Amino acid sequence: MKRNEIIAVILMFLATIGTVLGVFTIEKYRRDKFYTVELIARAPNNGNWYPRQLKVPFGKEARILIRNIETVSHGFALPDFGVSVSEIKAGEVKVVRFTPDKKGTFPFMCTVWCSNEHLHMTGELIVE
Amino acid sequence: MNTKDRLFGIIPLDFRFELTKFKPVRLLFKSRWFPLLALIINLFVFVVILLAGLLGGYSAGNYNFGIMIVWILWWVMLMFVLVPVFSRAWCMVCPFPIFGDWLQRGALFSVKQGKPRGLNLKWPKQLKNMWVMNIGFLITTFFSGFFTVRPLATFILLGGIILLAFLIGLIFEKRTFCLYICPVSGFQGLYSQFAMAEIRPKDPEICKRHTLKTCYLGNEGGYGCPWLLTPFNFRKNTYCGMCLECFKSCPYNNMAFNLRPPGCDLLVDEKRGMDEAWKSFIMLGIAMVFFLTMQGPWGVLKDMVRAASMKGYLVFIAVHSAFSLLIVPGIFLIFSFLSRFFSGAREVSLKKIFVNFSYTLVPIGLGVWIAFSFGIILPNGSYILHVLSDPFAWGWNIFGTANFPWTPIFTHSLGYLQGATLVIFYLFAIGYGIRISRQTYPSDNQAKLGWIPIFSFLTLVTAAFLWLYIG
Repeated sequence: MKRNEIIAVILMFLATIGTVLGVFTIEKYRRDKFYTVELIARAPNNGNWYPRQLKVPFGKEARILIRNIETVSHGFALPDFGVSVSEIKAGEVKVVRFTPDKKGTFPFMCTVWCSNEHLHMTGELIVE
Repeated sequence: MNTKDRLFGIIPLDFRFELTKFKPVRLLFKSRWFPLLALIINLFVFVVILLAGLLGGYSAGNYNFGIMIVWILWWVMLMFVLVPVFSRAWCMVCPFPIFGDWLQRGALFSVKQGKPRGLNLKWPKQLKNMWVMNIGFLITTFFSGFFTVRPLATFILLGGIILLAFLIGLIFEKRTFCLYICPVSGFQGLYSQFAMAEIRPKDPEICKRHTLKTCYLGNEGGYGCPWLLTPFNFRKNTYCGMCLECFKSCPYNNMAFNLRPPGCDLLVDEKRGMDEAWKSFIMLGIAMVFFLTMQGPWGVLKDMVRAASMKGYLVFIAVHSAFSLLIVPGIFLIFSFLSRFFSGAREVSLKKIFVNFSYTLVPIGLGVWIAFSFGIILPNGSYILHVLSDPFAWGWNIFGTANFPWTPIFTHSLGYLQGATLVIFYLFAIGYGIRISRQTYPSDNQAKLGWIPIFSFLTLVTAAFLWLYIG
């Protein structure tokens, strides 16, 4: 009985604290291993791109994880590197990959009319 | 109940098929690992739901695990299967009270005798009914425009319920929270009267001779009924949370899990009251309001529910409350009065007629909610495949279904399915309604005459919902 009690308590902790720790550990590992940077898409009146300034290293493949956390569609374009995602629907996650072959500061922007402030939904990519 | 009585002339109302007569089922029900293991698995799911809700914040609900699992999958499962088939099977595996139970008992698995921990107070006598749950559930629906679309709102709602369950567990005895407070509990109790399963004592004589009443007091095998009931004389499903402790504590294996014809409990004239009657009205009122605001074509109503303007939102709350608490019961009161008038049975109180016939709304209400649930699952069910693979919208793809596109299914048949559901449950309401009428009025002739206005009411309600769903 005592052994079963201990097992039950362990299972309960695994289901609660274990799950929370597990989820964040997996995500940290995944982000470190598979993505260079995370970019959150929001209309300017809801906070705009976050972060608005991305930094990626020169000559190394950059993988940007773009999460649209809003209830409207967004798009993504980084014209200087010929990178774009035509539509990121509400709640969707997209990944763009490219290798920066020039240094400097380059604009990126939303390409779907997402709000009246759509034209201000821009950010900068810095290749170092 | 007349043992020769057959519903629709086909289903004997006293038919029972005991599942616990099979040894594996009986052993499962006697094991202390069941339903504990199922509950812990469910706890894991709810932790993911809460995390998804918290991390999802104010983002889109359609790609959020919390929103999709709770308001699409869980709700639909509850209305399609759990309640109408298995009674309060959800309560059996509900993780909300686990922390309170653990604290009170000082154990998760074992049975500890002696005084429970916590203050262990008794719930006030005046509140030992469904009123707190009625009001609690109605208030919860005021925020339906938020928690069905905003992950953070779902997190706050569920987190709040879990916290409240724990706090109530600290203060009050046993499952007071589940019995008198939980907003999900009330309608499950009401509609579980329609369920096709029940827990009942097998042989009342054995219970009578067993003076120790371990199902109520507990023993080394199991706790005394956590729902503060007396399983040895169970006659209705309404308040039995199916925790299965009575199976474990009965030394004579005299508890049974039976399959039965749907709706038998509607004829059990025990603990019928205004609180349960109002639960029927509230559920019917909410179903109507939910359909109008969530599945109807009226954008102005949607704006009111999601608080596009404070004035519109307050109007929604006021109209919604008045409709569920006053208008629906008011109309039903008129028909109850007509029933009494038609029957000519002046000796039968209006209150008795009003309360008794309110149970005819159980099949109607359940049918309306099942029909409503078709409108949830068929257009939106495909999102579940997405969120199972990517529960936190982080770009995961656990089962390879993260990119499964939104695919409504059978939506061209939605109206027919909803209409057929309404008609089927209407027939059940009619089938039980005439029997309730015979219970209510002294003579058969009075019962037939008194039934006419109630029959008309049920027909009008069903016609109104048919018009809404497929009109």
